[in-house]
Amino acid sequence: MSSSTANPPELSVALDAGALRQRLVDLAAASGIQRWDLGAGCSTDTSVQVDRGDAKQMKGAQRSAITVRVWNDQGLVGVTSTSDLSDSGLERALAGARDASAFGNPEDTPAFSPLATAPLATLDQPLHQPVGILELLDTLKEAEKDLLGRHPAIGTVPYNGLSQRSSERLYLNSDGACRQQRLTTASLYLYARAEETGRKPRSAGAVRLAYGAESLDIAGCIEEAAARTISHLDYAPIDTGRYTCVFTPEAFLDLIGAFSSMFNARAVLDGVSLSTRDSLGTPVAVPFLSIHDNGLHPGNIGASSFDGEGTPTRRLALVEGGTLRNFLHSEATARAFGVSPTGHAGLGAKVSVGPDWFEIGPAEAAEGAATGLDHLAGDGDPRGLVLIDSLSALHAGVKASQGSFSLPFDGWLISGGELRSIEAATVAGDIRQVLQGIVGFEGDAKVTPGGLCPHVWVEGLSITGES
Amino acid sequence: MTLTTTPVASRPAADLQDPSWRSLLEPVLAGGSAAGADLVEVFLERTDHIGVLAEQEAITSVSPAFGAGAGIRVFLDGRDGFVSTNDLSAGGLLSALDQALGMLGLLRPAGGNGGFAGLPDLRDHGAGKQLWLQTCPSLAESTSRLLEGTDRLQRHGKHLQARRATYARDWQEVLVAASDGTFARDIRLHQSVGLSVLAADGEHRASLGRRYGTSDRPDDLRSWDAEAAALDLTESAARMLYADYVEAGQFPVVLANRFGGVIFHEACGHLLETTQVERGTTPFAERVGEAIAHEAVTAIDEGLSDGAFGSLSMDDEGMEPQRTVLIENGILRRFLSDRAGERRTGHARTGSGRRQSHAFAAASRMRNTYIAAGPHTPGDLIASVDRGLYCKSMGGGSVGPTGQFNFAVEEAFLIENGELTKPVKGATLIGEAKEVMPRISMCANDLDLAAGFCGSVSGSIFVTVGQPHIKVDSITVGGR
Repeated sequence: MSSSTANPPELSVALDAGALRQRLVDLAAASGIQRWDLGAGCSTDTSVQVDRGDAKQMKGAQRSAITVRVWNDQGLVGVTSTSDLSDSGLERALAGARDASAFGNPEDTPAFSPLATAPLATLDQPLHQPVGILELLDTLKEAEKDLLGRHPAIGTVPYNGLSQRSSERLYLNSDGACRQQRLTTASLYLYARAEETGRKPRSAGAVRLAYGAESLDIAGCIEEAAARTISHLDYAPIDTGRYTCVFTPEAFLDLIGAFSSMFNARAVLDGVSLSTRDSLGTPVAVPFLSIHDNGLHPGNIGASSFDGEGTPTRRLALVEGGTLRNFLHSEATARAFGVSPTGHAGLGAKVSVGPDWFEIGPAEAAEGAATGLDHLAGDGDPRGLVLIDSLSALHAGVKASQGSFSLPFDGWLISGGELRSIEAATVAGDIRQVLQGIVGFEGDAKVTPGGLCPHVWVEGLSITGES
Repeated sequence: MTLTTTPVASRPAADLQDPSWRSLLEPVLAGGSAAGADLVEVFLERTDHIGVLAEQEAITSVSPAFGAGAGIRVFLDGRDGFVSTNDLSAGGLLSALDQALGMLGLLRPAGGNGGFAGLPDLRDHGAGKQLWLQTCPSLAESTSRLLEGTDRLQRHGKHLQARRATYARDWQEVLVAASDGTFARDIRLHQSVGLSVLAADGEHRASLGRRYGTSDRPDDLRSWDAEAAALDLTESAARMLYADYVEAGQFPVVLANRFGGVIFHEACGHLLETTQVERGTTPFAERVGEAIAHEAVTAIDEGLSDGAFGSLSMDDEGMEPQRTVLIENGILRRFLSDRAGERRTGHARTGSGRRQSHAFAAASRMRNTYIAAGPHTPGDLIASVDRGLYCKSMGGGSVGPTGQFNFAVEEAFLIENGELTKPVKGATLIGEAKEVMPRISMCANDLDLAAGFCGSVSGSIFVTVGQPHIKVDSITVGGR
């Protein structure tokens, strides 16, 4: 197996920053536009899917897109996006942005980030040469065959895919900022479906990410998908009631991510966050919880070294010792709060703000947290402990601005030292109740595609079952 | 850093009516055929999008976007290779074809046409739609209408912490050419307008939204009734602000018409797409002609309703849409099928090949999907329930690989002794299609449709869901 290469892989489409800048400079000057910035991206993707030993679909894609913002004579901002990078496309994009600027919001006008030329962190992101698509196909066929052979009940792997991407992104502005990043990534997902006679079908899976297809932990992905699927074969309904729940790292990260508007300065300013300006410095969770956003963590495959406005990515404390410390910011929200941009902006007419990659775990002085937690040993409650493996339908079951959630989940009831899969159930509650109801952490923090987190114990959550 | 420099999309995307496209596409189809492909298909599109957001008394975002691209798909022995690109030059298209052929182990020869005799005359569904884009509301008109919406919300609402109005206009011109002689063009226009609010009073909070959408009606935003929309939403917000959380358990439920149809869409509709047959993830694969639902249920998917969000003049594989009866009096009649579905499962195409954009291969997808009206009044259904839940407004939902579905209820009321009583919030309905479909025991006479978006294997597409009021005898209600 080869690893990284000193020579960057060739993209069939690629961005020449110098040439693109010059084209923008010329076109903007011809249109009388003085101030502009631009975000651009291009990528080459290949992916395969298989179905019981045969190729199901093989895909390739070359994509390119730009978003251009212009400031008009009144200082108002307009934006336009396009995939057409021909001269006429860029000209039309500039004209569209200028037209849209007439409707810019004078109360909230973005500016260039003061950090758009600040030094960037160096990321250890080896660039990999792409693997041939037929090699990808053979690899995935083998993985599927291996997974199908793990248990007689596993009949299909209906959701599977092996893909690789070479991409490049760029940020330019008329003050001379120039950010550029190249990246290669690969991903594998395997979701198996198993069914035993007279019983309901069950499904579970696993995902792996890497910087190149040859670096993917394929064996680990098969092992995890098989183990999780098999563990759900023997299922039973659960009684409706309140339980102490243990969230796997993936499940807890998904839940916190769904309520990330708590930490989002844009949402605070818009009045749709559970937090307000005055929430900074107030307790929002048990005193032994810390949450950081750290897009630079080496476990964050595909990390960006800068955000949509060119601001460097950095580690930011959101909750320390249970207290809300900082919000995620763009240039405009940071200006409104009198702080520096944090590197969490998108690029648009209204600049979006979002997290990169969470680190969740105990605060440095983790007093008050239960210790020695072991979900296999239970918690002494005769009804048992609920281990929540994965949450579903977050797009529908989370009311972020209300704080409430009601979500289907896959998991197990642990009682008397035994795990039994739960047939079908939902977990419901309020995120504030969750953050104040954390009992403690179990085990070491685990690196997942969405962040870093240990198992998290939360008491008193409402579980609805079918029994 | 050393970078390669290759022109991207160096050919400006001309109107797809332009005859020059024929001369670009025929060599692609001939080359693919000569290489030995069973079928070669090219999907070209041009798009023009506007998104506008109003918050409180201000326009806070105007986001235009436009683009063009091609998706080339090659079939061989039931397998397929698909490549998408933004490079619409002759070289770009042939390069994409070569990639797709290579996926199937095929190589384009230097000459020959593999029996491809050239494209026939264009079937032009877009001919009468050339002026649609120009006759849509201008930015000034759009922003004005949205501000009217947020103003009406303020006028009618109480305790509103945030008021939003959104408008999206999606114009798409498509051209489909295939080596089987398909050569068709269309212009589509989708517009949607939505209102949402966050009401807050102390610890009480309620966030709700409503969205309306149509296809092929340039005047849609002009005729939008902002007053009625704002009144409907603020009344719901007022009811839900102080509502208690629903008690969890198994209950009979009555689901309101319009967007209540999301239950059929998620619980059953997806399982009647041939993509699910191909994957082996539908329990209904071998059950055509058998009862899979209560005899009260007749379900239809069609692309024909005038102005509905899921209506089409042709699907994304160039086929005219149909009215497809999926379930008739509880008996499974048909699956929704596309090119790949027909080749791999034997189910005949139904004009249901759909995709979000050129970047996705088409797949069998729903269009306007609904349960047909029944003989009862909505009051009959509610009166038949001693203790249960009335779901007036539904949020989104999903279905998993085992057929288990879920969806969120945005606005609900308890039913006690056959009457609606107090409002409740926080409910999620979960279940399994095979178990729930036989429990839809009553359908009312008030069928109505609602616009929605459906995300699946071929991306996010415009759809309509619908139903009359229906009664489900028992379903799991997740709550607190």
